[in-house]
This record gives sequence, structure tokens and C-alpha cells, in this order.
Amino acid sequence: MRSLKKVGFLINPVAGMGGAVGLKGTDGLAEEARRRGARPVAPRRAETALKELLGLDALFFTASGEMGEAALRRCGLEYQVVFQASEESGAEDTKEACRSFLDKGVALIIFCGGDGTARDVSRVIGSKIPIIGIPAGVKMHSGVFAISPQAAGELIREYLEGDLNARETEIVDVDEEKYRSGILDTKIYGIAATPYKPVLVQERKQIYASRDEDDFKLQIAIFASEFMRDGSAYILGAGTTTAKIAEVLGVEKTLLGVDVVKDGRVICLDASERDLLRILEEVGKAKIIISPIGAQGFVLGRGSQQISPKVLRKAGPENLIIVATPHKLKETPRLLVDTGDFDLDETISGRRQVICGYRIAQLKDVVASSNF
Amino acid sequence: MSTERWIDIPDEVREILKLWRPTPLFRAHRLEEHLKTPAKIYYKYEGVSPAGSHKPNTAVAQAYYNMKEGIERIATETGAGQWGSALSMATNFFDLQCRVYMVRASFDQKPYRKSIMQVWGAECVASPSELTNAGRAILKEHPNTGGSLGIAISEAVEDAATHDNTNYALGSVLNHVLLHQTVEGLELKKQLDMVEEYPDVIYGCVGGGSNFPGMCFPFVPDKLKDKKEIRMVACEPAACPTLTKGLYAYDFGDTARLTPLLKMYTLGHDFIPPSIHAGGLRYHGDAPLLCNLVHDGVIEAQSFHQNEVFKAAVTFARTEGILPAPEASHALKPAIDDAVACKKTGEEKTIVISLSGHGHFDLSSYDAYFAGNLEDYEYPAELVKQSLAKIPKF
Repeated sequence: MRSLKKVGFLINPVAGMGGAVGLKGTDGLAEEARRRGARPVAPRRAETALKELLGLDALFFTASGEMGEAALRRCGLEYQVVFQASEESGAEDTKEACRSFLDKGVALIIFCGGDGTARDVSRVIGSKIPIIGIPAGVKMHSGVFAISPQAAGELIREYLEGDLNARETEIVDVDEEKYRSGILDTKIYGIAATPYKPVLVQERKQIYASRDEDDFKLQIAIFASEFMRDGSAYILGAGTTTAKIAEVLGVEKTLLGVDVVKDGRVICLDASERDLLRILEEVGKAKIIISPIGAQGFVLGRGSQQISPKVLRKAGPENLIIVATPHKLKETPRLLVDTGDFDLDETISGRRQVICGYRIAQLKDVVASSNF
Repeated sequence: MSTERWIDIPDEVREILKLWRPTPLFRAHRLEEHLKTPAKIYYKYEGVSPAGSHKPNTAVAQAYYNMKEGIERIATETGAGQWGSALSMATNFFDLQCRVYMVRASFDQKPYRKSIMQVWGAECVASPSELTNAGRAILKEHPNTGGSLGIAISEAVEDAATHDNTNYALGSVLNHVLLHQTVEGLELKKQLDMVEEYPDVIYGCVGGGSNFPGMCFPFVPDKLKDKKEIRMVACEPAACPTLTKGLYAYDFGDTARLTPLLKMYTLGHDFIPPSIHAGGLRYHGDAPLLCNLVHDGVIEAQSFHQNEVFKAAVTFARTEGILPAPEASHALKPAIDDAVACKKTGEEKTIVISLSGHGHFDLSSYDAYFAGNLEDYEYPAELVKQSLAKIPKF
């Protein structure tokens, strides 16, 4: 008997259109982008990924027209339309389509778009079922995007064939309105599950696949729980690795926010920049634990922006502790900083220790993204 | 233990050592030329032994003494596979059975090590294994672990403790092993005498500390008694920097805490070093005798990252021809740096490298190096110190 894999598939047909015409994103600006002469890019990129899936035992549930149906038909894949998209499809259509996919009990949702689309999908799906992004947007900071449409195709195939696991990663987006006026304000909007290729710790293929990523997160967290006994206040950035540290310590942590822990107790949840400055004033000494977020390897300047240049200067850049699993480090050849304070970025840059296991660190290049 | 200054090597052991000893001392003319250094570089090459390293020097002696005591079977562990191979060969010569617990990471990296042990009649199993309580306990908690030397030692010790006819054998760290290895340094002294040379510096890699002390210890009395100016430099990985970053304290030699406490530099018996390619150097402690001399400042220690070590190894292979083991290459890195520094000073320094083994089973590691897949691991010493500060002492 055929065991059909049920998969949700949608395209944000306008994703990426703003890029070429200088709009730094297309949220709410599809009309303007078209007026400036932008052409759709997402459907073509989606088809590049879909072509990798020919011959796979999968049934695709999708939205009508350019939101999915057309691309699947052109690629000759088996599908069912479960959602009628409105003529000018938008965020609501994405969310509605995802709800329909959930009703159908899909094992994976594939979407083609950018960070905005990732946000819409993740708002409905959370980390209930894995999602994977075919990159087609202007900005793709979230960790759910494959590095290229072809890579997305390969990942999807291998995941559906049962060779891969899913892991948690951050959904990150920039406030486009502010970005257009030169202010970069990135936030973590959610945590999603996404398929990933287990990184081989040393040599590809010949060697054992690495221990599971969660195992490394736990190792990092146990080590952190040990060195955090030194009486300092610890500012914990957002993300799943720092969340693991809080879990091992047995304290509460906001997954998407910045929290402060001292002597095994939370002294501030979801701290703002002002909270952090006040705490630094009170306790005198604090250390900051952060992990690269999303897919680009930003440790500062994306995500936990409460940890501002002022906070960093007050705590002292030498008290910055970077943590990341070997899997994440493997994917990012270098780590990036972009605090908005150029001198500070320069101070933090260079070859730095990144804690990647129990009493284990890797040396990694940290680069100011403005230099990059 | 002995209070004697000299202990003769038994004839039966000599007969076997004769198969490859004395090992050659080479002058690295081509390397010197390549570096354009005024320094004289020598290397004593232990890779000519049948097992490919210095390990048979003690394996043969240990197998012999066990045979004399009526022991029928020996259990041991191996990190990179060198010790397991050496003991397999030695037990074979004296008709003993042998089981080797090989650290999983190396077992997978170098499958032919298992084959060579089988050829010599021994049984090689990946550690942690399902054969011992220690192994099963670790597997329950970390089913996918790459293992460690500490875990493998626990398994072998348990194996010996639960079999009447079986003794445990250790290939490094302990005093008798260092004694057996001094054959290297004694030969080196004679060989250098023949060309009227005396080392200004000896570089050797340290995992548990047997090859390096074996090469150096015969020179220690020169330094202490005769006030000779000689530097002896222990070279270790930055990922497992026992002598350079460890604590000098009593600790267990293995993960499961089965061994007696040893006074040594240690990173903690519960530390599992990252899976670097110099598998034989992944040990949390070091030989107490060596540690004592490092502590007293007689011997120095330095640590290196694996990429720079492989770079030195490739330079060496391309000039001298010999493909060195990643472990041994830790001594090549500072030796080459030293020789390059002599270009500036014009010093005609005599540099001796202890080249402990060949890298014919490590080609996958070289592949990884060329592919740019080697990570430079480091031991976060400051944070570890911070985490140990509040731990109750006993």
C-alpha cells in the first residue's frame, strides 16, 4: 500500500517583489512594487524547489491559483486545493490556508516567501508541525529558510523520506516601516520547528552523525548553570539555547524576551533596555549570555535589541558570553554583530570563544556586519 | 615500584623489541632547507614499530610480565587505536587473550584499527559497550556518545575485575609505563652522542604522558644534577589542555571513578573532551610523574589548535616524506615555529622532535583538514574556573 505523505504548500505570490525596486520588503506594498515595475519572483523559486520532489509519494494540500495550485500543476505534482485565495492574497490568506492544512493533518508545511510570510505561518502553526521556507523574500532572517530553493527541495525530500529530524528555530522579522527610514528593529516573533540535516561533527559521511542538537543544548545549559553560580547577575538573551539554560536552572524564561537571573533566581522577566540599565546600576556587575539567532548568525543587533550598546558598554564587552550548538556554528561560517555603535562592534569583533558544549568552546570569527 | 635506579630489560622482551629497535633518529635536512633555518632539526621516529607507534615499548613488557604471573587474558582500552594495536601484537607474542575497548569516536573514524587488532588475535569493541555496567550506564544517558578514554578505561577495569584470569593493562599515565618508554630517550642520547650533539630543546606530544616522558626523562638528571640547559616542551591540544589549563590536584584516572586517586593536572574526570582528530590526546589527566615535573618547572607545556597542527603535519610530510599521526604532529608545530624563529636570531639550535607515530590510519582526518571541516576547539578555562570556585572541596 502506498503511504502518502500529506504536505501543506503555499506561496506568497508577492514575496520578494519589493527587493529589486528598493522597497526593502513588500509588506503592504505589493501595489507600489508593481507600479515600480516589480515582477513576481516567488512562483519561479517555488517551482525550482518543487521539481526536486517529483516522484515522491506525497499529496500536496494547497491554496488556489498563484498561491500554490498553479505551481504544483506546472510541476506535475499531485495536489488538492483546500483553500480559495482572495484575488489579492495577503497575510490573512496565508493564515487561513495554514488552518486548512492543519485540518487535513499534514506532516509538514512548505511555504515560499520571506520573513513576513514565515511570521504569518508561524502564528498559526507555532511549533506544532515542522515548517520549511523556500527563500523568496527580501529579508530572510528566520531559521526556517533553506539556503536556496534547490536546498529546500532536498531538505523536504529527505525529511519526508524519514531521514531527517526537526529542530526548533527562531522566526525573526524586521519592522519594515522603520527599516525604510533607516532604523533596523528586528524582533523574534516566534519559535518554529523545521527539518534540518544533522551536521556531522567532524567529517561528512565517514564519521558518526553528531549527537542530537538538543543534547548539545543541554550540555551548554549544564555548563552555564555551573558557572552562573558566581554571584553575578546574568542577562539571558532570547532563543531556545538560553531557554534551555533557564530550564536547567529551574527558573522561568520568556522565550522571546530578555530575562535576568541572579543566584538561581529570576530578578527580571522580559526586561526592557531601561530595566537592564537599572539592574546594572543596582548590582554593579552583570554578564550577558546570548546565542546567535535566526539563520544568519547575528549575535547582537538582531532579536534581543534590549541588549543595547548602552547595556553592553555598562556590562563590559568582556562579560559577553556567546553560546551556540555545534550544529548552528557549522551553518554560520562567522558570527555577526550590528549593535548600531560602530566602535562597540569593533571591540566585540575578532576571534572569540563560543561555548558549544559542556566545558567545550570553539573559536569563531565575530565580524561587524557593517564591515562585511 | 622499585627503588633501583636502573632496571634491565628482560631478554625475552629485548628479543621482541629487536624487531624494530633501535628506532631511527633522522636529521630533517629537507625540512631545515624548506624553512631556511640555521637550526638543526632531528626527529626520533617511533612509527617504524609494527603497530606504528611508541606503544609497543610498554605493551611487550606488560604482556611479558603478565604471562610470567600466569595471567591468561588482558583487558584494556584504546583511544586512537595505537595502544590497542600494540597490546594486541604483544599479547599475541606471549599467547595471551586480549580484549580492547576502543573509544567509539575513533572506532568509527579508523575501522582498520579493529582489523589490525583482529589480525593479531585480539577482540576490539566500541566503547561505551553493552558488555559492562559502566558502558551500559553511559549508553542509557547518552545513547549517541562518541565515548572517551575515561569511559573506556572504566569498562576495561570492570572487565578485568569481573574475570578471574584477566588483568587490566594501561598504555600510558602510570609509572611502570613511563619506565618502559625510557628506552626511547636512552637510545636518543646514544644516537646524539654518535654525532656529538646535545638537544637544546625536545618537543613531544602528550595525551596521557608516556612517549614524551620516555623521550625526556633520561635528560632530566642532566638538567637537575648537571645544570645542563635543556628545554623539554610537552605539547597538547587546546581542546584538552590538561597541563596548561588543568588543576593540579588528586583526581580519578577514569570517568567511573574506579582507579585510585592520582596527583596530577586534571580537567576533571567527568570532562569529555571534544572529538578532535588527535584522539590519542583526549585525556582529562596526565602522568603524575610528568605533572610533578611540570609543576616544578622542569618541563614546560604548550597547547595548540588542530588546524595549525595539521598545517605543520602537511609541511613535514611534504618535506620529509613521512606522514605523521595527528597526535605526533602537535610536537611538529612548535618545533617548526622554533626553527623559524632561529632565522631571526641566527641561532644554530639543536631541536629534537619526538615523532611518536605514523598517520596511515588517520587519512580521513587529513581529508577533513583539506576540506576545511576541522573546528578549532578551545577549553573555556575562565568559565570552568568560575564554575569550580563554588563547588565544595573534599
